[in-house]
Amino acid sequence: MNGFLVKREAEGYFLSADLDADTGVMESKLDTSSVSLAEIILADRAARRLDDLPSVSFLIRRYNTTRAAVLNALTVLQHDGIIDRIPGQSWNFRPILDTPNAVADSHHFRLILEPAAILAPGFSLDLVKARQTRLNLQKSLTGRLGNAAFHKLDAEFHMLIAQSAGNRFARDSLLAHHRLRLITQKDFGTPEFRLRQAQDEHLAILDSLERRQFDVAAAQMTLHLRLSRNQRPDAANRGSPPMPNGNSNH
Amino acid sequence: MTSHPTIAFFPEASFGAALNCVAIAQALERRGAAPVFVCHPGFTGVFADYGFKEVHLPGAGRNDEAADYWQAFIHRHLPHFDLSPQDQLSTYVGPTWEAIVDTAIAADASLEHALAQIRPDAIVLDNVIMFPAIAQAGCPWVRVISCAETEIPDDNVPPYLSGLSADDPKRDAFETAYRTATANAHRRNTEFRRKRGLPALPHGRFMEPSPTLNLILSPDAVRYARAQPLDALTHRYLQGCVREEAQFDQPLLPNHHGPLVYVSFGSLGAIDVALIDRMIRVFATVRARFVVNVGGFTEAYRNVPDNVVLGSWFPQPSIVARTDLFIHHGGNNSFCEALFFGVPSLILPYCWDGHDNALRAAQTGVGRAMNRSAWSNDELRGVIEGILADRGMRSRLATCAAAMRQNPGRETAAAAIMAVVSKDQTRVAAAREPSFAR
Repeated sequence: MNGFLVKREAEGYFLSADLDADTGVMESKLDTSSVSLAEIILADRAARRLDDLPSVSFLIRRYNTTRAAVLNALTVLQHDGIIDRIPGQSWNFRPILDTPNAVADSHHFRLILEPAAILAPGFSLDLVKARQTRLNLQKSLTGRLGNAAFHKLDAEFHMLIAQSAGNRFARDSLLAHHRLRLITQKDFGTPEFRLRQAQDEHLAILDSLERRQFDVAAAQMTLHLRLSRNQRPDAANRGSPPMPNGNSNH
Repeated sequence: MTSHPTIAFFPEASFGAALNCVAIAQALERRGAAPVFVCHPGFTGVFADYGFKEVHLPGAGRNDEAADYWQAFIHRHLPHFDLSPQDQLSTYVGPTWEAIVDTAIAADASLEHALAQIRPDAIVLDNVIMFPAIAQAGCPWVRVISCAETEIPDDNVPPYLSGLSADDPKRDAFETAYRTATANAHRRNTEFRRKRGLPALPHGRFMEPSPTLNLILSPDAVRYARAQPLDALTHRYLQGCVREEAQFDQPLLPNHHGPLVYVSFGSLGAIDVALIDRMIRVFATVRARFVVNVGGFTEAYRNVPDNVVLGSWFPQPSIVARTDLFIHHGGNNSFCEALFFGVPSLILPYCWDGHDNALRAAQTGVGRAMNRSAWSNDELRGVIEGILADRGMRSRLATCAAAMRQNPGRETAAAAIMAVVSKDQTRVAAAREPSFAR
């Protein structure tokens, strides 16, 4: 994962950055185009370029690569729970965050699990990573903040929370889900005011966690996620009630 | 003058008006004012995400009821969008005016309550219908005309929603048909206004000019030379009204070559999934990159081409600023944003003032117009490629954009609103001074 994430067997993905890491280098690694075939396939799926059931031969042609490379990429995605093998030569994608409805489902899932993960016994904030995350959040507020940069920092923050969870199942589920969000959720249009406000909310949650006020932090997380729910109506027309939307930005 | 006057905004429940008001509110806030948005149900949070306070009108029903409404709306009105402006009068325009009147009647009492709570120094109304609660709020109100300039009639201006030129021989027939199609809604609105103490308006009209200030979103490049110029004391033209938006982080496409084209038909246009999908198949054959706003209907699309990216929402001004062509429905905000950034428009109108802006874009050489659905793949491809290669159009637009950016509409609007507040507060203060007359 471009050096940004490291995978620990049976635990999931973790931020590889430590306090000595150069944040700028880390960001440039995130932005590099030298991504794996598995990531390209996943990005194409998120952009709705690939069918639900892509065949291996189709993927070989599309990516102009070898059968072994495609099978290797699909195995990586299968291992991550993103795709299932079905009888024959096809594979079946599992749900990802590629549509407004899927993003709304993700939001509901996180609203249930993220505050609960903080409150579950054994929550232990990784203070070293928390310090780095805090620095990154603060740095993001010093200049203009765009959606792409926010998206990465938002994932970093929420993965830190997940990684700190004491409940192993909550931890694994959230880590897998945040990784899916990081790669497949695309949001282009949250106003900068809301992005900055969300970063302030992240910092306030970190404050509470560092004070070990877990009940406060869980409540702040609930509020943060509720405020992050994008309520722009899907359709609006003069004289007509707006058609509601249930998406979440971050 | 109060150093931080409270300005209440009440945009109609459409994105064009809502985001136009956001632009003015941003400029007002920089001048020390405190904007507050009165929100229609369903727009909760839209203005808060830009940092503005919201006061909410009561909800109108459950989410599933709204979804059912829109299913019915799509089923009923999609075929009407392929009709001529004349044929839309009875099928779409008339029923929409009925719904607008229903909204005004239903919202007025709660709007009165909201304004009493806010106690604004001025009210900005961006709508196509008047609300008695605003006229009687006890402070100046400002009308924003964010539809095409045709909303304000004049002999030299085409009839509203007609898509005709001002001197078209069919003008009289259209105007007669418009009054007929809107007669019932007009009668109901007149009765409502009478009960609330407002005078009747001429046939076909649903809103009066503000006695204080009217802001018309009509840049110089597309403005009409009126037979009877509007009163300069109470009317200001805005050179667009473009809000500050999030940065647009352009995604890397598998086929990342050629100019950038942005496509958005507004939230209403996005419901025509079949038409947009047909367009996307044509985009696949053009050497360009296409960013397509499909609203909340992403799930309806499959096999998206490698030079196309879909999204449910984009920070439109940020992306239009970087595009080479903007394909849209002729909504006035979209049209003015294209002009503000010097970007050619390809307008495929489906209703309302989109017809008027489509014609005006073609007349003034800042874009082209096409029927929204009656085109062959080759025709659409040819028009897109033709506009992208049209240096003359690009040059005209550059001149237009430079003039608009020298005098941004949102700043003009904010300055004029602040002047209205200042003048009113001076008047109120003078009225309170004791009289020394013998």
